[in-house]
Amino acid sequence: MTTRTRITRYKFEPYLYLVPIIVISGFFIYYCIGFTAITSFTDWDGMTSSFHFIGFENYKELFTDNVFFVALRNNLIFFVGTVFVQAALGLLIAVLVNYRLPGSNLYKSVFFLPISMAPVIISSIFRIILDPNVGDLNNLLRSIGLGNLAKAWLGDPQYALFSIIVVNIFQWMGFSMIIYYGGLISIPKDIYEAATIDGASFWQTLFHITIPMLRTTTTMLIVLGIVGSLKTFDIVMLLTRGGPGRSTEFLNTYLYKKAIEEFHGGYASSIGVMILLIAVVMSILQLKLNKDE
Amino acid sequence: MNTSKIGTKFAIYAILTFFLILWAYPVYVAVTKSFNVGGLNNYKAVITNKNINYFRVVFNSLLISIATTLIVVLITTLGAYAFSKMRFHGRNVLYILLLACLAVPAAAVTSPMFFTVKSLHLMNTYLALILPLTAFNAPMMLMIVRTYFDGVPDEIIEAATIDGCSSFGIYTRILMPLSTPVIANIGTLTFVYSWNDYLIPLLFTRNENMYTVTLAATYFMDTQNQTAAMVAQLYAALILMTIPSVIVYLFAQKYLQMGITAGAVKS
Repeated sequence: MTTRTRITRYKFEPYLYLVPIIVISGFFIYYCIGFTAITSFTDWDGMTSSFHFIGFENYKELFTDNVFFVALRNNLIFFVGTVFVQAALGLLIAVLVNYRLPGSNLYKSVFFLPISMAPVIISSIFRIILDPNVGDLNNLLRSIGLGNLAKAWLGDPQYALFSIIVVNIFQWMGFSMIIYYGGLISIPKDIYEAATIDGASFWQTLFHITIPMLRTTTTMLIVLGIVGSLKTFDIVMLLTRGGPGRSTEFLNTYLYKKAIEEFHGGYASSIGVMILLIAVVMSILQLKLNKDE
Repeated sequence: MNTSKIGTKFAIYAILTFFLILWAYPVYVAVTKSFNVGGLNNYKAVITNKNINYFRVVFNSLLISIATTLIVVLITTLGAYAFSKMRFHGRNVLYILLLACLAVPAAAVTSPMFFTVKSLHLMNTYLALILPLTAFNAPMMLMIVRTYFDGVPDEIIEAATIDGCSSFGIYTRILMPLSTPVIANIGTLTFVYSWNDYLIPLLFTRNENMYTVTLAATYFMDTQNQTAAMVAQLYAALILMTIPSVIVYLFAQKYLQMGITAGAVKS
């Protein structure tokens, strides 16, 4: 306790150290949040400084807006689709890499590489590969006699969202892998040794030791996945721009179009408020989960 | 026993290699196709493009990413020092308020950012990109640094205080030298995230002179048609735009991986 009293001595100094981050980051972000909240009750066009308060009109419109619900649904499907596949693949690969066979670092590097590349670049590469006519995927399928499987991956509403999910998994699987890898290292070795002596198989060890021991990591990856899904923008803009039709519209792409392309700043703000509300609920959930651990 | 061990090894390599092929395939396609038709001339065409000056674009991205990284490192280490090693009123509230920003997607506040930058006449400036990038990257980095500082024993700080070291002296002469690993982690992470960002430059950049690599990549995507020669050139452009970040990755892979682990494990 004596150490505490000594440290309590500071009165004004701490705030000086905090000024830069509070002004640049805290103030900036909360200012933007407040601005969004206020303008969501106005008919602001997003460009000029004139606006009128119109009460809950934007929200009334939003709750009868099909596109908004399509976007919400797409965000949800995207989240479920990416997070679970990514986690399962990431775990599998982390476990295998953790055997530390010669060359395992090379594997790790390749799986991790997409994280260092911009989503814009990866999406662009995939846009060409997935092209229905000149794309390498369809060419490959045709050349091995599976031509009937060749699809308009991004142009067909049936497959477009699925393709976006696959590209996202490609980009971020290494993220789950590296985090699981960190978790694996922290599991005591003797647990595995005991299991081996007891004659446990690979799958038994995986399901009865590894996965339960990594429960916290998995929960965290799911929460991060929700936050990540709410942040998704680049991949969708580059791959489909929300199309065909509105079939791959995401909350962020819809907001962007409303704000920047259609000059409905107020309406865009009401979408922003919904995104922020989901984010806040998620953060509270996350804090709760952390406390429980 | 021995055969089963060989079998296990074989199975591990087989599964890993299967996924390796899936993961390497897109990059392999991009690299090989970028030499189609024109060979190295594809790259030359991108570098000498009339509208996009490759070196200018790389310079812009470098400048923005380096500036963002330096500011983020400075403000997060200062802030983390206060949060970790000092007690004061409102410490927990302020920390939670800053951490809550972690979950705020920049895209959700598109219109206020756009309007503010426009009203301040900052459109097409480096500042318009550096500021939001700093703001949105700082909360996570603050958390990583704070966790790291929490691991630095308070006794070191006390001993220094008794020896007459000022609180700023503790920051510059004790904490900073001790934190090179965490600075490397958050530095690499911030650099890569800023380099790869698309939304912020998309919002605040209007002329080709100020384009970042991500905008330049989309410019090429939008202007090329689908002839084999054009596709090859497009791949060359994408590779040229991503080479600098891959180089950073090759040299700082370890820090990037550690940064990502640190950012997730505590959050």
